[in-house]
Amino acid sequence: MARERAAPFVCPGISGAWFMCMFKADFLTGLALLLVSAFVLIESWHMPRLEHLKVHPLSVPGIVPAFLAVVLLVFGLVLVGRSIRAGGHRVGFNRDDLRRVLAQPGNQRLLLTAALTIGYAGILIGNTPYWLATGIFIFLFVVAFEWRRGMAVREFRRMGLVAGILAIIITAAVALAFERLFLVTLP
Amino acid sequence: MGVLLDNLGLFLGAITGFLTPLALFHILWSTLLGIVIGALPGLTATMGVALITTLTYKLPPELAILILICVYVGAIYGGSRTAILLNIPGTPANAATTLDGFPLAKQGLAGRAMGVATTGSVLGSVIGIFFLATLAPILGNYALKFQSFEFFWLAIFGIVISGHLTALDDPIKGWIAGFLGLMTAMVGQEGIHAYERFTYGTTELLGGFALIPAMVGAFGFAEVLSVMRNPQAEMADNPQDSVIPKLADITRYWRTIIRSGLIGTIIGIIPGVGEDIGAWVSYAAARRKSKEREKFGKGSVEGLMAAETGNNAVVPGAIIPVLTLAIPGSAPAAVLLAAMFIHGIRPGPMIMVESPQFVYQVVAMVFFATLAILVYGLALTKPLLKVLAIPRTRLLPVVFVLCTIGSYAITNRIFDIWVMIGFGIAGYILRQMKYPMAPLVLGIILGDLLDKNLRRGLVLTDGDLTPFFTRPICLVLWLVTLSSILMSIGPFRNALQRAVRVVWPGTRRDAG
Repeated sequence: MARERAAPFVCPGISGAWFMCMFKADFLTGLALLLVSAFVLIESWHMPRLEHLKVHPLSVPGIVPAFLAVVLLVFGLVLVGRSIRAGGHRVGFNRDDLRRVLAQPGNQRLLLTAALTIGYAGILIGNTPYWLATGIFIFLFVVAFEWRRGMAVREFRRMGLVAGILAIIITAAVALAFERLFLVTLP
Repeated sequence: MGVLLDNLGLFLGAITGFLTPLALFHILWSTLLGIVIGALPGLTATMGVALITTLTYKLPPELAILILICVYVGAIYGGSRTAILLNIPGTPANAATTLDGFPLAKQGLAGRAMGVATTGSVLGSVIGIFFLATLAPILGNYALKFQSFEFFWLAIFGIVISGHLTALDDPIKGWIAGFLGLMTAMVGQEGIHAYERFTYGTTELLGGFALIPAMVGAFGFAEVLSVMRNPQAEMADNPQDSVIPKLADITRYWRTIIRSGLIGTIIGIIPGVGEDIGAWVSYAAARRKSKEREKFGKGSVEGLMAAETGNNAVVPGAIIPVLTLAIPGSAPAAVLLAAMFIHGIRPGPMIMVESPQFVYQVVAMVFFATLAILVYGLALTKPLLKVLAIPRTRLLPVVFVLCTIGSYAITNRIFDIWVMIGFGIAGYILRQMKYPMAPLVLGIILGDLLDKNLRRGLVLTDGDLTPFFTRPICLVLWLVTLSSILMSIGPFRNALQRAVRVVWPGTRRDAG
C-alpha cells in the first residue's frame, strides 16, 4: 500500500490545511515549551540556596523561576497533547513545501525585509559610521521594494533619485536630532 | 466635601499649569503625530508611544509624560481613519470600527463616519477622564492596604485575565504569552538577594532585558515585518461629505455612548487587556441592546459610535492602574509606565501620599489630548488623509531606523539593538501563531512584582500559604482567576451550563 502523503505545512489561507498548519505549529511550540521549562527547572534547582547567609529557604532565588517553569511545563503538555489528538504531529514538511513557501510573494517580501533590517541593525550598526549605515539601509530598502522587472530606465532613475534623497534627508535628520538635540553618542 | 474641593483644586491647578505656550506647543505636535501614527497602517499606539519615549529622555518628566499621553490618545483616535477608509484598522483598537465605518464610507458617508468617530472618541475619553479623576484617588488609597499576598495575586490575576480576554478563541495561548513574559523578567539580578539569574556572566543582562528595546522590538520591528509581508492596502475614495459631527448623533445614541464609555473604562482598568477588547465588548453590548440591530455590520452609526467610544475610554481607564498600582491596563500604558520609571516618577500605591498632584496632572494631560483630537477631528481631517498615501516602502525603513536608534539611545548599548531584534523576531513568530502580545508585555512588567512578593509573602508566613487564600482581596482575586481558567475548560463550562439550566430551566442553551 502506497504511503499516504502527509498534509503540507504551507499555510495557504483560512482552510482546513491552515488548521493543520496551526496544530503542527502548536505541536512544535509545545515541545519547545517543554524543553525550555525543563531547562529552567534544572537551572533553578542549581541556583544557590544561600544557606551560609542564613536566608529563609522560601526566599531563595530559584523558587519563582521554578514555579513559572512548572506552569509552562503544564501548558506545554496541554499543547502537545491536544495537537497530537488533532494529528498535528503527523503533518509533514518536505523540500517541495519549502519551495512553495519561498515562492509566495508575501514570504519573499518578509525574507527580504528581515535580511535588510537585520543586516543594518545587527551588522552595519557598530561596524560602520552611523550615517553611512543608515543611508545605505534606507536607499537599499526603497530600491529593493520599488524595483520591478522590466522597469523603464527613466522610471528606475527617478526611483533611485527618490531613494537617495530620502536616505540623505532621514539620515541627516535622525543623526542631528539624536546627536545634537538628545546628546546621544551615535553608534 | 473638603477632599473633593482639594482634588478639584489640584485638577484646576494642573490645567492652568499646562496653559503655557511650550506645553500647548507639545500638546499640538504630539497629538498630531499620534493621529498620524494611528492612521498609518502598521504603526500602532504602543509602537508610537515606545518610539516617542526614546525622544523624550532629555525632557522634564511632566512634559515627557504629556507628550506620550497625547501620542497615545491621538493614535487610538487616528486609527479610525484607516478603519473607515481602508477597511483595515490603523491600530488593533480600531478593528471593530471597520465593521460599520467602512460600509458607511462605501455608501459615500465617509465624512459622516469620521465625524461619528470623532464624537465617539472625544466622549469616550471624557467619560474615561471622569473615572480617572474620581477612581484613581480612591483606588490609590485602597491600594495602600495591599501587601505581598495581594500583589502576588494581582500579578497572576493580570496575566490570567489579560491572557483570557486577548485570546478568547484559545486562552491557553494568552496564558503562555503571559507566563513567557514573567519568565523573561526572571533574567538579571533578582531584587531580594541580588543573585544573577540566567545571565551566564554577561554584564549586559545584569539589569534584565531593557523594557523599551523589548517593546520597540515586539511592537515596532515585528509590525514592520508583518506589514511588509501583507499586500499593500488600497484606499477608498476621499470623503466628499461633511466631517462635522452631528448633535443628533449624540442625543439619539446617548445611552450607547455612556454604556460604551463605562465598558471601555472598566476594560481599561483590567490589567493588560487594552483598547481593542474595549471596542469589541462595547460594540457587542451596543448590538445586543440596539433597536436597529439589523444595521450592525452594514453601516450602523450606533455600532461605529460604540466602537470608537469604547476604545478611547480605555485610555484613561488603563492609566488608573498605572498610577495607583504600577500595573498597566493596556500595552501602550505599559510603555507609559516604563517611561514614568525612566523619568524618575514612581507610580504605585504611595502616589496619593507622595505626589497626589501628579495624578491630577495626568488627568489634565488626557483632557488636553482629548481637546486636541477634537480640534484636529474638526479642522484637519481631510488634509490628514494625505499621510495615508505615503508608500510603506518609504515609511517603514524610516520607522526601523527609529526603532534601532531609539533602542540604542537609552543606554548607548549595541546590546539593546540585539534585544530589539530578538524580541521583534520572537514577537512576529508568536503573533503568526496567534499568541497575543499584551499578556507578554504585562508579564515582563509584572515579573519583578510577582517574584518579590511571592517570596516576601512566603517568608512572612514562614511558608504558610493560608493568607494567600484567605485575605479578603486575595480571596476575590484568586476566585476570579480560577473561574477564568475553569470557564475556558470545555467539560467544566458545559457542566456549569447544565447546572445553570437545572437551577433556572428557562435559561437559553448558549447562556454563559
